[in-house]
Parts: sequence; C-alpha cells; structure tokens
Amino acid sequence: MGTTASQLGKDMLSEYQELTFLTKQEILLAHKRFTELLTKDEKDLPNTRVPMERILTLPELKSNPFRKRICNVFSTSEYKDGGLTFEDFLDLLSAFSDSATLEIKSHYAFRIFDFDDDGTLDCRDLEKLVNCLTGETDDTRLTPEEMRQLINNILEESDIDKDGTVNLSEFQHVISRSPDFVSSFKIVL
Amino acid sequence: MSIEPQRPGSREVHDYTEEYGYHSDQQSLRLRRGPSRVSNQNQPQFDWSSPHEEEDEEGSSGPPRDLRATPLPIALKRAIRQVQQMQVPVVSSRDSWKRKKAKSLRKLKDSGMGFLSFFSLWSKTLQKIGGNFGGGVQSYFLFLRFLVVLNFVSFLLIAGFVLVPSIVFRSVGAALVNSTGQGACLVYDPNPEGLVVFYNYFLDLLSGTGFMEYSYLFYGYYNNTMVEDKNISYNIPLAYLFTAVFYFVFCLICIIARMGTAARVVVATGSSTVGDYSMIVFTSWDYGCLGDRATKLKQKNIHYRLQVDLEEESIKKRAAALTLSQKIVLYSLRVFMCFVSFGLIIAAFYGIFAATEFSQVKSGQEGILGLFFEYLPSIVITAGNFVVPLLCDQIALIERYSPSTTVIVALLRAVFLRLVSLGVLLFTLWRQITCEGAENTGECKLCQYNHLLYPCWETRVGQEMYKLTLFDFLINIAVLVLVEFPRRMVVDNWSNKLAQWVGRQEFVVPANVLGLVYGQTVVWTGALFCPLLPLINTLKFILLFYFKKITLFHNCRPALKTFRSTTSTFFFLVVLLFGLGLGTVVMIYSLSEIRPSMRVSLFIGSQSFSIPLFALSCVVMCYFVALASVYGKSVALLRNQIKLEGRDKQFLTAGASS
Repeated sequence: MGTTASQLGKDMLSEYQELTFLTKQEILLAHKRFTELLTKDEKDLPNTRVPMERILTLPELKSNPFRKRICNVFSTSEYKDGGLTFEDFLDLLSAFSDSATLEIKSHYAFRIFDFDDDGTLDCRDLEKLVNCLTGETDDTRLTPEEMRQLINNILEESDIDKDGTVNLSEFQHVISRSPDFVSSFKIVL
Repeated sequence: MSIEPQRPGSREVHDYTEEYGYHSDQQSLRLRRGPSRVSNQNQPQFDWSSPHEEEDEEGSSGPPRDLRATPLPIALKRAIRQVQQMQVPVVSSRDSWKRKKAKSLRKLKDSGMGFLSFFSLWSKTLQKIGGNFGGGVQSYFLFLRFLVVLNFVSFLLIAGFVLVPSIVFRSVGAALVNSTGQGACLVYDPNPEGLVVFYNYFLDLLSGTGFMEYSYLFYGYYNNTMVEDKNISYNIPLAYLFTAVFYFVFCLICIIARMGTAARVVVATGSSTVGDYSMIVFTSWDYGCLGDRATKLKQKNIHYRLQVDLEEESIKKRAAALTLSQKIVLYSLRVFMCFVSFGLIIAAFYGIFAATEFSQVKSGQEGILGLFFEYLPSIVITAGNFVVPLLCDQIALIERYSPSTTVIVALLRAVFLRLVSLGVLLFTLWRQITCEGAENTGECKLCQYNHLLYPCWETRVGQEMYKLTLFDFLINIAVLVLVEFPRRMVVDNWSNKLAQWVGRQEFVVPANVLGLVYGQTVVWTGALFCPLLPLINTLKFILLFYFKKITLFHNCRPALKTFRSTTSTFFFLVVLLFGLGLGTVVMIYSLSEIRPSMRVSLFIGSQSFSIPLFALSCVVMCYFVALASVYGKSVALLRNQIKLEGRDKQFLTAGASS
C-alpha cells in the first residue's frame, strides 16, 4: 500500500485522484519530482520517508519562511522529524492545490501558524508568525512597541470570545473575509 | 492505546485527528455504529452513517467528496473509505447510479478544466508576473487579458452580422434602395482624385482619410441595402443597428459577470482596508513566491504595509487630538486645494475644447502640418492627462490626507479628468456638426447638419476615434522606447548619486489601468461609426501586453507599496462601467438627436426602442445595487450576533466556574 518503483499504478492513480484534490497530471508530476529526491537505493523501497533537509531543497519550498512548519504539519512520521513519504507529499500538494476548498486551506494554515502545536494561536505564536512574515534579521523586524501594538490589534479584531488566543473557528472566520487567501495559499509544481 | 485527556492549559500536542473521530494510532480502527462510544472521548465522532443520508437528500455528492474535504492524511482517508465501503450492505441501484453519475461528471469536469486551461491565454506568463511583482501588477495584466478577449468576441459579433453580409452582398452586386432627400445633401465622394503621392498613403493610414475613408472601416461605406433574394432577406441597416446595441449589452453583461465574485467579496468584507491587521497577518503571505529575491521582497512589502497601517492608526489618534484652530486651518487648506485642482482640470478642458475647434477649422491642410493639426486634440488630451495628475500629486502633499485616502482621491481625479476630457472632445465635435445646436440656421439649414464641412458626419466622428486609438498606442510605445529603456540604461551604468536617487522605473498600476479604460472607452464611443475598431483595439491590446511585459521585466523594479488585488479589480471594473456608460450615452444621443446624413443614412425611423432599453438597464443596475446593500446589512447583523454569542459564552463559563 504505497508507491514503489518509478511507475505509478493505474489503480493507485485513480485512488489518489479520489482522495485528494489533485488532477492526474499533477499527481504524475508530483511522483516524478518526488522520485528525483530519492537516492538510488531508496527508489526500490516502498514507502520511503524522505528527510526534511532533502524536501527543503525543492525550489518551491526552499525560500518559504514557513517551510519547516509545512513539513512538520504534513509529516506522519512518529519521530516528528518532518520527513515526508510520497503520500504525505501528495497531502501537502492537495492542500495547496488550485481546487482545494477554503475549509481545508484554512485548517492547514492554522496548523502551520500554530508553532507550539497546542491548538490555539497565542501571543507567542503570533509573534513568531509576524517575524516569519517580515523577515528574521534585526533590521527587518518590527520594533517591540510596534509588535505589541500589532498583537493587541490582532487579538482585538479576531479573538471573539476574549480568551486571549485565536482558536480554529475564529481563525477561519477571519480567513473567510479575505478574498485573496485562496489564491495566495497555493503551491504549484 | 490511550488518549491523553485534554487538560486545559496543557502543553500537550493537540491531536487534530481526534476532532474527526479518528485516533492517530491506526490499530484502533473499529467499526463504530451509532452513538455508542467505548472510549472516554468526549468529542463528537465522525458520523459514518451521514454520507448515505446526505446522499438521499441531496443526491449529488457521494462519500469521495466528503473525504477530499477532510483534513486527514491519505492513509487515514483510505482507511475511512474502506470502512465505509464495508459498511454498505444494501445500496439501491438508484443510489449507485447516482454515485456513478456524480463520479463520471466530476471526471468530465476535471478533464474539461484541463482542456480549457490549455487554451487559457498567457496563463504561465501571468503566473510568472504574479510571483515576481505581486498581485497588484498581475491584476493589471489580468484586466488587459479580459479586455483583449472582450474586444475579440465583439469583433466576431460585428463581423458575423454586419461585415460578412456586407462583403457578400457587395460582391454579388445587390441593388440599392433609393434614398430620399435633397440633392445637395447626397454628395459624398471621399475618394482622392488624380495622382496620389506615396507618402500620402502613410498619412492617410494614420488619419483615416483618403483611401481608408471609403472602406469597411467606416460607417460611410455600408450601403443602405436591403437584399431580397429568392429565399433570404437581410436588412443590413437593421442588422447594423441591432449588432451595435447588442454589442453594448454584451459588454455590460460581461463586465457585471466579472464583477460578480469580486463584488460579493467586497460586500462581505465590509470593513475598511486600513487597520485590518489580522487579515494582513493571516492571509498576506503568497506561497507561490519563488526564490530568495522574491521572498525578501514580499517580506519587505508586508513589513512596509504593517508599518504604514500602524503609523496611520497613530496619525488618526493624533488628528483626533488636534485643537480647534488647527482643525480649521487644515480643513480650509483642503477646500482651497480642492478648488485649485478643479481649476486645473477645467483649464485642461478648455485647452481641449480650443484645440478641437482649431483642428476642425484647419482640417483641409496638406502634408505633415495637416497631420499635426489632425492630431492636435489627441496631443492636447494626452498632455493634459500627463501634466494634471502630476500637479494633483503635489497638491495632495499639501492636503495631508492619510495615505490610503490620498491614493483614492488621486485615482478619482485622474478618472474624472480622463473620461470627461473625452466628453469635451465629443461635445465640440457635436457643436461643429450641428452648427452649435441651432439646426435651422446658416450652413445647417438645408440638411439639419453642416453638410459642407461634414458630408458624412458619422465617418468623421469615427475617424476622430480611430485617430485617438492610434495615437494612444503610439504614445505608449514612444514612452517605452524613449523614456523607460534609456532610464534603465542610465541608472544601471552610471553610478552617481543622482542616478541612484532617480532609480529604476516603478510599474504604477493605477495610471496604467486608467490608460486601458480610456482606450476602451474611445473604442466604445466610436464602435457605432467605425465597425472595425474593436478588431484594431484587440490587436493594439495584444501588442500592448507584450510591450508592457517586456518593460516590466527589463526596466522596472518591483513596487514597494502594495496594492490589494481583489478590491482593486473591482474598482477597475467600476471605472470601466463609467466608460461604457459614456459610450452608451454617445450612441443613444447620436442615434436619436442628430439627423443622420442623407447619403449614407442607415437608420430611418428605427431608433425608438433604444430609450426603453437604456431605462431597462438602469432598472437592472438599481436592483443589483439594492441587493448588494441588503447583503451588506445582513453580514453586519450576523457579525454582531457572533460577537454577542461570544460574550454569552464568556458569561456562562464565568458563571459556571464561580
């Protein structure tokens, strides 16, 4: 129950088409790009898990500030090391595809932004998120006062039940108001 | 296997799969029937039976649809599907037929989308532009592509109903209907006589006179023919009129359809663009950004945007704290500057008016000087459109509005200037044609229009629009070649302080979009009199796309100030509607008010239904505006309700814990 050699079976292909939002061409392209990441020995093994460092050499992920979080979220590895099998990779591409629904995208966006994986976005998560957005170096960060003002504004706008954190439904409510989110939450190989 | 209980405030890793009733440990998979729960889980389980019920009610989406939209890994989804398939004991043939049909329909839709994307024009280019320069610049090119397609389809419409029958019947030699009217009014012979010097052809090409005037390009060529063969009868004048009207209606429908999604979203968001911090932080990252350079640029953009918004907020707080005397000074300054900008715009109008009159008077001149006089209105309009916004920008600095208000005010002034300057040109033409409105005096006495200067006034108006289109295109090319490329050469190769301060060109989206809207409005005003104008415009816009793309990638640096792509697309379409309105007004007025020139008149007594059509479209617009306001109100109501529910929950939990 996994993909092995260089060819993807027809029934596997149709199964993936039903379980993800990807089209046939997209799945084949993903398979091609994934096998390029494998070493010669790994190509024969079923269900190989490619370590995160090698996944991050993909040009689509290489300079993304959220690349490590993306790998961690989609990884089904028991060691939580961010390694991805081919099916994890397909999950990733499906969530970031053209036809994925807003609910799926917002769910995964929430998980990516939840840096400490506790199910809510608190001040620390938001601060890390803003730093990822503006750049990690000193001259690109916001000043502490600006950061404080910004986080206060964010919580005031989106924290509806006033518990100091943004949970999934509050997050999805903010996202649903954005017209650009679906088109910008996209990674196409 | 055990489940860690969710302790409040615990730092345990949140297991998202629990919310979907599935333990991340695969060995725990069991057939769950109904509400009986074995585990001590207190969260709602994934209802295995629901897909079948839903299917009976809706009959459309089967389990695969639900599975795709579940945020679980593929392995888990596969397991769920297996369980579902095992659990299906009796499925009626109707249900399985419905499911199969839905599946095949979706496969068809997928392959159809794949097929269509093959045909989608320039999609790879647009993706590249969006990744490198951002959504704002991409929205300009998307708008340009929309206009290309619109113009091309309009041309096909006109070709099918007017051009091709005309060509066919003219070559067949169909008989002309005798037109009634005064003898002198019937004289119309624009063909040049005698030997024509070669460079005159070039001049004629640029100004639409000479050999170009009496051709399919202009209204004057289409005969007042009504062909009646053995079986078919085709009334060309009626076809011309209906096609023109249908062309406007078709453009209106296309624009409104395109505005549809954007409008819905703009109404739903409701809140202002400033201060929507959570929106910026949660949604502004573009995951399609490729490469370090684009990423750093996007980060700089976001940083800039956040800083600007935070600064605007503190400016607002400071402005609210102004003393009364300071407020009076500021507001009076703003009112004065408003008058100054209006004065500038009116001065520009007067300049256009004078230039058009002068050009019409001197319209007999030969050679290069004659060409200059022909193009004088276009030159003055372009100069005005260039100079006045620059001055308005300087004025805006004095007015000291907040940055977002400044952008909107500048855009509105530019739109006003562009579209109404076109209106002034048309107004002066009308005055000349109808002897300043007094249709029974002087030269207009005989034919109710100035038949000496304008033997066929419709062609003359068409020629003006043709010249405007051509000139606009030539100016764009000239600016590209003479300004943007040299600027880049200077900045790149000359490393002194002045060059660095000037810097590379920035692709300014609003100004470019207004240029497109202006070009399209000219085509709409002239479409009735110059039927091939949509085709010319299609070619012009296609060439413009490639030229602008070249200058974007070679000469421009990406803009620092961002531009909200969806609300701006909506605004572009609104401005385009203004242009369409102007074109419609011109068409209706010229059909109903000015007497058609006798020799080439195609419409005798068939314009009475245009007024009801216009009224109908106004009613439809009002309906949509009312609908939008109703939706906006209900969105505000619902949002308030959510806030209240949150407060209730807080109150209850506070009460429960005490």
